[in-house]
Amino acid sequence: MLTLISPVEIWAHRVPAGLKLGLLAAATMGLFALKSPLLLALAATATGALYLSGGTGFAVAGLRLVRPLWPFVLIVGLWHLWTADPGGGASILLRMLTAVALANFVTMTTRLSDMITVFQMLARPLGALGLSPRRLAIAMALVIRFIPVMLDRLVQISQAWRARSRRRAGWRVLVPATLAALDDADRAAEALRARGGAG
Amino acid sequence: MTNLSHGIHLASASVKLGDRHVLDRLTLALTEKRIGILGRNGSGKTTLLRLIAGLIGPDSGTVRLDGFDPFTDRRAALAAVGILFQNPDHQILFPTVEEELAFGLAQQGLPQSQALGRAVEALKAEGRAHWAKAPVTSLSQGQRHYLCLLSVLLMKPRTILLDEPLAGLDLPTQDHLARSFAALPQRLVTISHDPATLAAADRVLWLEGGRIAADGPPLQVIPAFIAEMSRIGARDADADLAG
Repeated sequence: MLTLISPVEIWAHRVPAGLKLGLLAAATMGLFALKSPLLLALAATATGALYLSGGTGFAVAGLRLVRPLWPFVLIVGLWHLWTADPGGGASILLRMLTAVALANFVTMTTRLSDMITVFQMLARPLGALGLSPRRLAIAMALVIRFIPVMLDRLVQISQAWRARSRRRAGWRVLVPATLAALDDADRAAEALRARGGAG
Repeated sequence: MTNLSHGIHLASASVKLGDRHVLDRLTLALTEKRIGILGRNGSGKTTLLRLIAGLIGPDSGTVRLDGFDPFTDRRAALAAVGILFQNPDHQILFPTVEEELAFGLAQQGLPQSQALGRAVEALKAEGRAHWAKAPVTSLSQGQRHYLCLLSVLLMKPRTILLDEPLAGLDLPTQDHLARSFAALPQRLVTISHDPATLAAADRVLWLEGGRIAADGPPLQVIPAFIAEMSRIGARDADADLAG
């Protein structure tokens, strides 16, 4: 999710996070209500325009973020060509791409802490069950902070392996990587305590 | 009896790791403004710092920081003491610079929006306004150290604990950070294995095997430390296992 940070600041950064998330939920439901490929194409075009309103640099970054979807596009596309239902396939693909692009747009233009504030508000009823919303929120932030750290660690361990072995490391790095993750967790807990804990 | 409401006071404080005494019945009254702790790897330096910060509690004995127990009274500890870890990656908890800076303030009771505002102000005052939204992963090692220092300073502690603050940094970054530390009005407790870092301290403690080997002004402690280290080095530096 760190990679979902926008390279430039655009107008949408200044829109409140709650509003953006609300609109996203409504738009996504709307996408599922739309059946005609033509209307869905219109929605996709509107989403494209939304990205372009942030400038070409922003739009290119947005485009790059939907690229990982290509295997799904391929499978769904081939399946519907095989079943001779290109219209249905186009609908599904347009709906999926538009929904993901819209969600990315909100993520790219919303600060994590604002997202967490909204989440905390929504999670307030869970407090009745003894689950502190603030704790959940901090947990979310920690996940986002530490995923890249752990991936880095995995790369380091693989390289340490490669430096002394002719064979590929493969699954064998998982044990040291897990131990390193537990070690990181201990240190993060300490850092959290040093600044007031999770409470 | 020294004034307990001021400074760091340890009374026969011990910390054990399994059967081993990492810190062995330390009794100390630290009231100077610049305090250095020298020692080899594994001498208990970092454990002592964590004990003072209240990150761990003593297995026996007591620790008092400005009169309270930093391990049990976390609210008071937050206002009294900040700690800078040796590795900034072990300290940074949030994905962006401003969120990292705002966290401590929010923990001290400031609403999130005000905390973020203060964080951005602080960055501006340091000529680093453009850092606010940057992902912490985009900062260099030295910049991460600086971010950690800033987030500690924002909480306005009276004492700051520094764990090997200059280790592993390039010379300009070391110089810049050392100047930043020297200018701080707070009480600083710095641990290091490098005597040069502590030459300007008011008082230097030399920790060996969890006990105080020497305690005094740097001119007295540092030469003795260096002599002993080269004596050990000439023999065989690190064949012994801890424990």
